[in-house]
Amino acid sequence: MTVFKTFSQVLNKYKATVLMYTVMLVLFGGLNFKTSDNNVNFTASKPDVLIINEDENIGITKDFIDYLSEYTNIKDIENNEDSINDALFYRDVNYIIYIKPNFRESILSNSPNKDEQFKQLISSSDRTIVEIKTTGDYQASIADMLVNKYLHLADIYSNTFEDENEIINHIQKTLSLEVETELTSKVDTNTLSQVTFYYNFLSYSVLAGCVYVICLILSSFKNKEINKRTIISSMNYKSFNLKLLLSNCLFAIVLWLIYIILGFLLVGSIPTNYLIIYIINSFIFTICSVTIAFFISNLINNKNAINGIVNVVALGSSFLCGAFVPMEWLPDFVLKIAHVLPSYWYIKTNELLKGVEVFNSITLKPIITNMLVLIVFIIAFVVLTNIVTKLKLKK
Amino acid sequence: MFLHNLKYSLKTLFKNKMLIFWTYAFPLILGTFFYLAFSNIENSEKLDIIDIAIVDNEEFNNSIALKESFRNLSGENEQEQLFNIKYVDLAEAKTLLENDEIAGYLLVEDSPKVIVKTSGINETILKYVTEEIIQNEDVLTNIIEEKLNSTVIDGSIEEFIQNVREDAISMLDTSSLQIRDITSKKLSYTMIEFYTLIAMTALYGGIIGMTAINQNLANMSNNGKRIAVSPTNRIKIIFSSLLSSFIVQIIGLFILFMYTVFALKVDYGNNFPMIILLSLTGSLAGLSLGLAVGTIFKINENLKTGIIIAFTMLGSFLSGMMGITMKYIIDTNAPIVNKLNPVNMITDGFYSLYYYTTYNRFYFNIISLLIFSLIMIILSVLALRRQKYDSI
Repeated sequence: MTVFKTFSQVLNKYKATVLMYTVMLVLFGGLNFKTSDNNVNFTASKPDVLIINEDENIGITKDFIDYLSEYTNIKDIENNEDSINDALFYRDVNYIIYIKPNFRESILSNSPNKDEQFKQLISSSDRTIVEIKTTGDYQASIADMLVNKYLHLADIYSNTFEDENEIINHIQKTLSLEVETELTSKVDTNTLSQVTFYYNFLSYSVLAGCVYVICLILSSFKNKEINKRTIISSMNYKSFNLKLLLSNCLFAIVLWLIYIILGFLLVGSIPTNYLIIYIINSFIFTICSVTIAFFISNLINNKNAINGIVNVVALGSSFLCGAFVPMEWLPDFVLKIAHVLPSYWYIKTNELLKGVEVFNSITLKPIITNMLVLIVFIIAFVVLTNIVTKLKLKK
Repeated sequence: MFLHNLKYSLKTLFKNKMLIFWTYAFPLILGTFFYLAFSNIENSEKLDIIDIAIVDNEEFNNSIALKESFRNLSGENEQEQLFNIKYVDLAEAKTLLENDEIAGYLLVEDSPKVIVKTSGINETILKYVTEEIIQNEDVLTNIIEEKLNSTVIDGSIEEFIQNVREDAISMLDTSSLQIRDITSKKLSYTMIEFYTLIAMTALYGGIIGMTAINQNLANMSNNGKRIAVSPTNRIKIIFSSLLSSFIVQIIGLFILFMYTVFALKVDYGNNFPMIILLSLTGSLAGLSLGLAVGTIFKINENLKTGIIIAFTMLGSFLSGMMGITMKYIIDTNAPIVNKLNPVNMITDGFYSLYYYTTYNRFYFNIISLLIFSLIMIILSVLALRRQKYDSI
């Protein structure tokens, strides 16, 4: 109880700093969650497209634009070259289509019965009817397919038929032939991937919060005079460490609860069995973060170094393990290195959970294994901390 | 006196471990993290070869168009191989899909059907490709019909149909209508992350300037008290302190540049003098920020450092360090915020050097940085003038 009392007194002393830091991390988690919405859901199959029509919006030109509007998200961007280029660079659009002024005329000039002289005049001129800018990613590939398909159809039908309406009708009829598509999965992967992103990001906030606050508080216990008094007291160093650890856990659990509640507010409801595993997993990780923080605080004596260590440890494991950038986009060698970090096992579970459809022994096995690895980390850090304390005592 | 102070000021700055960590080591570490996390991101967004399965039943084998087209799209020697196809029976296709080994499978019964697990990009492409094959068949039928109606046939009908069919197929392959790709080659958006890193380091230089100036302030250090009572020219002393911190700052930035260019392969564009100009102006902005924070606020050194770090981190956040989307959101929705944000002035300067072909935007950023520095310096001069203490 004495240890816990002292702990809460120190916490009280630093409450402004702790509160500010926690609010910052919570805000950051919330903000990031909302703005990253676009990046993570790369499952949407409609590419974002910007159309700049330099031709008249009639006849086949209009039909082309209508067709694109049906299969893509048409973006509305201020029509100046800088804004357009910025939009492409920052992936606000995946694909930009410039419809040249000769678009309609060039297609219609294919017509089989047109004046030969006129045809030659046209064919000698520039036949570029569409210019594109592309980000070259998945979405852009779809846009590319769509544009190519339409222009092919327009080319062929305009070579065969003469009347513009007839050409358009045939194009539309052909395009209306669709293939039946059947979905086998009933799981709402969209919400689940959002939840996973949120819980992955939580690993950064929890780790940074624990390391910062716990190191800050424990540095008070490191004060030479206080430390000497603790050593000569009748309390065994193991028991002292354990009590201190439990007090720290209490703080960490409060922090963890805040994030869980925030998660409810941001994401809304998901099936209970998923939620339970997300919550258990994040709880184990929180405890693991406490033991990491406890271990680090036993290694360092300099209060000024805390900030640097927090940033290196928390940012490092978050970047390497996929808290910010999804795991599947990380290079293989980075993921191999990440195996030695607890965050990896935590995030791995979240990622696995996203793909689970039925809960049975096969799907649950890897999840439970990951959790066990985290628990091994917890034990290892506690043992290491005790070893460090003992070594320091001998000195 | 000028050189004397310069020398010792340099020595004290280089011996300050915390300072060197934040301005030298931390950017290098953060840059390494960025590199590890982002080096693969743009490649993984490019279209890969998609694993699919086709149920190898009688109906599929009878449909020549589907069979031929999918064979062409999966040929390993094809330049534009799109699919990697497994020809299996229905039960195995289902298992493959269940285990996420394929994006989906094609089942031809009365009509072709695509079965996928979820809706996504690869699934969409499979659907679109199958549709295109069927639509092309429809085109052929339409054209043959039209030609049969409109031309007088001399010779056998079969031969005529064969000719029209071949003509049409060759038209499907080659279009007379041209699409021209005018995309700039420089579209790597992860570069922004590294630009914000340079910008952050430039402004963190403010901590160096602030530390150096504290040495000369009577209310901040004993050293300052001694200088205040000594019969030396204060402008000379302050100027040499600032120069020494500028030198420390430039060396740090230089190391970071070398590291990002040679180890992390960051592309800053090709205009070398402009890159130097932007770095020097950016460092000046950082230095003047440190000078202003050091002189205006009458608080202890840790709090002053806190102010500079908080200001810089907020600026970095708004200019895209924690996700480049943020920079775009601010740039388009609240442009004034980023026009006043010195971190963004530097980031945007590098961005315009990398991506833009004209220099208007670049010069706008350089001028903004100079104005920012000037304001900071004027504020510091006002705070430093006529400082007198009866007692401290």
